[in-house]
Amino acid sequence: MVVGDVTTGTEVLVIGGGPGGYVAAIRSAQLGLDTTLVERDAYGGTCLNHGCIPSKALISASDIAHDARNAEELGIFAEPAVDIEAMTEWKDGVVSRLTRGVESLCKSAGVNLVEGTAEFIDEETVRVAHGGEGQGSETVAFEHAIVATGSRPIELPGFEFDGEYILSSREALALETVPDELLVVGAGYIGMELSTVFAKLGADVTVVEMLEDVLPGYEDDVAEVVRERAASLGIDFAFGEAASDWETLDDGRIRVATTDEDDDIAEYHADSCLVAVGREPVTDTLGLENVALEPDANGVLSTDEEARTDLDGVFAVGDVAGEPMLAHTAMAEGEVAAEVAAGEPATLDHQAIPAAVFTDPEIGTVGMTESEAEAAGFAPVVGEMPLRANGRALTLNEREGFVRVVADADTEFLLGAQIVGPEASQLVAEVGLGIELGARLEDVAGTIHTHPTLSEAVHEAATAARGEAIHTG
Amino acid sequence: MFEFELPDLGEGVAEGEVLAWHVAAGDSVEEDQVLAEVETDKAAVDVPSPVDGVVRELHADVGDIVATGEVLVTIEAGEAPESESSTESVTGSDGEVVETSADETAADGRVFAPPSVRRLARERGVDITAVEGSGPSGRITEADVAAADRAADADDEPAVKSAVRRVATEPMAERRDHTLATPATRRLARELGVDIDAVPTDETRDGEAYVDAAAVRAMAEREAADDEIPDEDVRAVTEQVVSELRETADEVGAEPTPIEASDGDRREPYRGVRRTIGEQMARSRREVPHATHHDMVAVPGLVEARERLQPLAEERGVHLTYTPLLLKCVAAALDDHPILATQLDTESEEIVYRRDRAIGVATATDHGLVVPVVEAVDEKGLLELTAELDDLVSRARSRDIAREEMQGGVFTVTNFGAIGGEYADPVINVPETAILGVGAIKERPIAESGEVTAQPTLTLSLAIDHRVIDGADAARFVTTLKSYLSEPTRLLLD
Repeated sequence: MVVGDVTTGTEVLVIGGGPGGYVAAIRSAQLGLDTTLVERDAYGGTCLNHGCIPSKALISASDIAHDARNAEELGIFAEPAVDIEAMTEWKDGVVSRLTRGVESLCKSAGVNLVEGTAEFIDEETVRVAHGGEGQGSETVAFEHAIVATGSRPIELPGFEFDGEYILSSREALALETVPDELLVVGAGYIGMELSTVFAKLGADVTVVEMLEDVLPGYEDDVAEVVRERAASLGIDFAFGEAASDWETLDDGRIRVATTDEDDDIAEYHADSCLVAVGREPVTDTLGLENVALEPDANGVLSTDEEARTDLDGVFAVGDVAGEPMLAHTAMAEGEVAAEVAAGEPATLDHQAIPAAVFTDPEIGTVGMTESEAEAAGFAPVVGEMPLRANGRALTLNEREGFVRVVADADTEFLLGAQIVGPEASQLVAEVGLGIELGARLEDVAGTIHTHPTLSEAVHEAATAARGEAIHTG
Repeated sequence: MFEFELPDLGEGVAEGEVLAWHVAAGDSVEEDQVLAEVETDKAAVDVPSPVDGVVRELHADVGDIVATGEVLVTIEAGEAPESESSTESVTGSDGEVVETSADETAADGRVFAPPSVRRLARERGVDITAVEGSGPSGRITEADVAAADRAADADDEPAVKSAVRRVATEPMAERRDHTLATPATRRLARELGVDIDAVPTDETRDGEAYVDAAAVRAMAEREAADDEIPDEDVRAVTEQVVSELRETADEVGAEPTPIEASDGDRREPYRGVRRTIGEQMARSRREVPHATHHDMVAVPGLVEARERLQPLAEERGVHLTYTPLLLKCVAAALDDHPILATQLDTESEEIVYRRDRAIGVATATDHGLVVPVVEAVDEKGLLELTAELDDLVSRARSRDIAREEMQGGVFTVTNFGAIGGEYADPVINVPETAILGVGAIKERPIAESGEVTAQPTLTLSLAIDHRVIDGADAARFVTTLKSYLSEPTRLLLD
């Protein structure tokens, strides 16, 4: 213990104020536990400050500019002027509104907020170092600790983030100008979302991906819709190449070298390079060496279905507890951890976790794909509705994409859905609810869906799976 | 073909009225499955099947009076055909057999049930993967979980049923249908828990077996010497009765009281351990007329005894507290006043004298009041008791304690003085008859031979079930307890 440290006690100590942490803290306080939340940076974590929210703000803004510019078919001819500074200001306003909201929610729930970085001293106490050097620290004794330290972008060796040439997603979201030429390393969901934003804002974007297609982990026909749309926006792709080296050029630009499996080298010139090759859990600030807790080979604090780590009384939620690294998963885990700490019979028994990618068009998925259902021992049946046959999609001037539902053939229980198209992120919620409730195809088919909306496509896919489709052959 | 005769349902009972049939001709039954409910002038009794098989004929209608020994039901003994009952339960309302559901929902270990139903299962401790769903395609509903919960409770029943059956049918070979005895002998047999029809005798009167008081006493002694299976059975029956009473009480007490809350008020869920405690307390206050006896005792002897034993205990690595000493004194006082170590069986209208000295120790934990039970306090030394107490209490606090470890107590001690307060009004841990609350050991003024001196004293608050005992019993017990507490060396006498 540092001399002069003040020791305080708390029943629940939450480390990290992102979606997992702040939800855990509020729930814990609601359950009557004395709760302390330690945050070193900004409430809302990566999601609100450097991830989901700012990226969606920029996606919406860039969509408006792009749509206005490309509406001749609808009889609209426009060339909007884009003021990046004003756009950024608006985006920052949205972010700060939300983060202030999180802070005040925590306060009104009675959560004790502490700014600083928490480090385990032993299995019952942490030291919270405030701000920078010399700003002091305090010791907090806890009964339960909920680790919600989140994740950070992975750095490629040799491509350390500098905020000028080599950008992480966080830095890309805070750019003050749109680069003329942007190289994006990694065609996962972050790489694809940001490539789309910058392409729509006028950048010349090239995406380099080590694997053979965009959006690894998604089915081919899902990825295909997004890849083709991206290509039509002018995004170039180079698959099967890994970024290996880079240098600055005399003209203030950079040259990035890539290598393929035959060791052939390709070179790309750009103003800057966004590296989006995944995220890694943040555990190095936690002082885990002082307690009997170690991350697994992937750097993850592994947890059980009650969000407990291997160390008694210590929970981990959100990205630090591993895949899927999704804000809504973190929130669900945070809630369960708090309830378990309070002695409630809570558990992570969710049947399906939805996921959304905000590319153009969007992707929404939940539950199992057809092949995953087979692997799990089901005899799946699939129903599909192409959006070109949906009235609302056409009135949105959208012809690509589809809704696919997966169900068990014998019982008709819904097992999953894959949706590509406008508002796919919203549409997937209906199927998620159906899966959780144990709904069957007939239950969806027997529910009247509003006309004319995209949700009719979910209805139609369910009827198609039963061989009773009206609008599709 | 097994002709099942109505067994003797209790001493002196010659007949019973069939209240309800739980089976019909053609049903397959398992051993211990309840066939019928029969009411005697004493109580309504479930009659369990003695064999596996198929019911061929019911020999009485509901409302009929059946005499002991008369054939009640004909059962074709043999393996109960398993498939019959299981297909039945997955038959849809339209008779369509939904056979695939169980297999298919098993894929991926997946359960099809809404989140609210899954939470209910967790709250009730029901393994939802083992619940058979009655919804569309076998989806699990709230009612299915509730039914599985009741079935799990009923799993404890076979022991009870077979207890009834054992008493009722097993000793048939050496058991008479009728026994002649004087009323005084019958009463004695009742008090000693002896089945008068099972008391061996060579004597007869008018051709009927005749039993006298001496034979009853001899039988009682033999039973006490045997390992008291009847006691176990009585306990099982008692627990069963208690759980049924609890269900009834839950239903009765289920009327909600809405509370209007304004801004600044806070709502907290009333669930889990808190609610269990609440229900137990409400039931105790509802069913048991409490009377509390307060007293104070000067305990310099107890303090001295601990001070002398403490260094010896430390040598053995044990920190001796007052609690094990207190438990020993309580156990000794219970031996002197066994009426305090009883349980009221309201179904059979009998007071059950518990032989064991399993004593509950009320323990305040973060998640509420928990009462771990220390078994056989009378047979254990202080060191052993201390170790066991430490273990139970620490596991109670960390919630690492099994339900069985909190059951089977005959008496409870609650040490409210650990937190503060002189006297309390403790709530009896039903179905026990009494609970002792103990204040802090501290110096209080004691008037003795015209002088007031400060002496270490202990305050005692004994709550009793006034149905079972009276205030005088309570006072006598407390007086005896005080004598042990003031002079613990008395424990060595017995």
